Amino acid sequence: MELDLAQFLTSNFQQFWEFTGFHNVTYEHLIMICVGLFFIYLAIKKDFEPMLLVPIGFGILVGNIPFQMGNEIGIYEEGSVLNILYNGVRAGWYPPLIFLGIGAMTDFSALLANPKLMLVGAAAQFGIFGAYMVALWLGFMPDQAAAIAIIGGADGPTAIFLSSKLAPNLMGAIAVSAYSYMALVPVIQPPIMRLFTTKKERLIRMKPARAVSQNEKILFPIFGLLLTCFFVPSGLPLLGMLFFGNLLRESGVTTRLAKTASNALTDIVTMLLGLTVGASTQASEFLTKETILIFALGFMAFVIASASGVLFVKIFNLFLGKDKKINPLIGNAGVSAVPMSARISNNMGLKYDPSNYLLMHAMGPNVAGVIGSAVAAGVLLGFLG
Amino acid sequence: MLLLCFAVSATALAQGRRGLRINEVMVQNDSNYVDDYGLKHGWIELYNSTYNYMEISTVYLTNDRSNPKKYPVPRGDVRTDIPARQHVVFFADNEPNKGTFHISFSLVPGVDNWIGLYDTDGITLLDEVVVPASLQPNQTYALKQDGISSPDGTFDPQYWEVRDGSNEKYITPSSNNVIIDTNENIDKFRQHDSSGIVMTIVAMLIVFSALILLSLCFYVFGYLNARSARIKKAVAQHGEEVDIEVAARTSHDSGEEIAAISMALYEHLNTHDLEETILTINKVKRSYSPWSSKIYTLRETPHRR
Repeated sequence: MELDLAQFLTSNFQQFWEFTGFHNVTYEHLIMICVGLFFIYLAIKKDFEPMLLVPIGFGILVGNIPFQMGNEIGIYEEGSVLNILYNGVRAGWYPPLIFLGIGAMTDFSALLANPKLMLVGAAAQFGIFGAYMVALWLGFMPDQAAAIAIIGGADGPTAIFLSSKLAPNLMGAIAVSAYSYMALVPVIQPPIMRLFTTKKERLIRMKPARAVSQNEKILFPIFGLLLTCFFVPSGLPLLGMLFFGNLLRESGVTTRLAKTASNALTDIVTMLLGLTVGASTQASEFLTKETILIFALGFMAFVIASASGVLFVKIFNLFLGKDKKINPLIGNAGVSAVPMSARISNNMGLKYDPSNYLLMHAMGPNVAGVIGSAVAAGVLLGFLG
Repeated sequence: MLLLCFAVSATALAQGRRGLRINEVMVQNDSNYVDDYGLKHGWIELYNSTYNYMEISTVYLTNDRSNPKKYPVPRGDVRTDIPARQHVVFFADNEPNKGTFHISFSLVPGVDNWIGLYDTDGITLLDEVVVPASLQPNQTYALKQDGISSPDGTFDPQYWEVRDGSNEKYITPSSNNVIIDTNENIDKFRQHDSSGIVMTIVAMLIVFSALILLSLCFYVFGYLNARSARIKKAVAQHGEEVDIEVAARTSHDSGEEIAAISMALYEHLNTHDLEETILTINKVKRSYSPWSSKIYTLRETPHRR
């Protein structure tokens, strides 16, 4: 009898032990847990995009706790809580909601005051297509290459949206890569900006932006939607929500809705998106050769995008009058990492001329980059979807 | 207003059901698809050509033009909710008591078989087909492309073909008439644009065109807005319509003046001469309990400065 009880306890303990993370852990799990901790460290100690990196970093921890499959725990197990929350990423409905919030919190005045800056936002999208060509050359299929290349748009929601449609198996790596590089914009962009500009160009002072009327601000989301979506209907989920959010903001009669969209809703979706994207980086799915390539390609896409924005401004300046020159330091803001890249333009400008504030000028290409990357995503989805 | 809403929703429903198509028909089944009783009958495949679920209960299948409500698809069966771009097969065995997918008529070999599909009103014809008498046993009459037939639902033989089960003309009950095993778009790009240059050029052109158009649009709006502002200002200054070019030239408002005016307006609009004089005191009574006390349960959220 005593023997039976001992056997029973032993087998129970054995069963419990097999269920624990200590038994199921592999070195891949530990690597990913370290990555998650590193993200949290960067967010809290270095202040690199904490709103994104804290949820993603913690999500990586959540997704890499080792467990036995079959108990509806993991993010890839049908019916688990994480799996239900992950549907927003997989089916692509978190990104448009984030875009609604972005629209509701973005003031497009800087762009409307100087519409030619939209072209800078368009030029920076070359980063996407440069990376697309390299990804094809490395042997990725066109749909996978497009999903990876969109990292160059520097827009996390757009990257998630497109990869969920074109390459769902690569989505975790693409999302983490996109958000990581967005957080590292202050590290990546300044050397590129210095490399492609002369000291004289960095000192260019731009004319103050003209005042923009309320009517123009109201017309912008309406015409923006009609023009861009007639060109690229496949960008409708992102662009539709972006411009809708902006109309809520600018109409002046839906303040409550705009506030909710830009605060509570965006916060909720950002938390869920960050956590589930982080949790989707389960070691078994994430630690692959493709992930390393995706990170390398993402970095390259970022570099190309930043460089092409700066170079485009330099070329554009050749055709502009002396008093209408654009400071090429705002070219990097063509990537849509709002408002980090605009802030970098401003900081760089101030470094070379302490009274040359470029922030409002840089916000123009910055928000144009949001539209441009959504249009580029729509084009890729239209061609390859 | 209610009537209008009702009419609009009814129209929308009808439009949705218009996506339901007769997709493939077998009249005489000797050695083909068996039903859930292990028996062989003629069958009719319906296809949901829309990109959303379609609930088809209470639509009617018939082979008699004078009796459009011959077989109503029963309610209460989850299988009648067809997923997007998917199929269901009805067995034409004239034994409706066997279940939802056994209809109340059978198809007759050697004669033209007209089959109609009516909406829930029993009047609106959603789709129809005339299966030719020449159709041999174990052959089907199928749409060449799934769900693609004449837009108004009337029968047009150019969309249909006879399938004999050969490798080229395969028979596909409950699956696509055209089996798709690759993504055509991707194959096209792999074949013709392996380096990605064409995609890059085309996509960049589209991105630039969209943003150039938007920027031109807002140049025009900006110009019109500035012009309108100048006119308003001139009218305000001179009390009558004046030449806006003159008004623009005589404008001397400096930044300082604008700042001074703005400050004056701010001061004016934010003075608090009239204050609310009604004082309301509401007595708030809460029964104390250590379980609900914030002292025991909540701390201030840490905030790094």
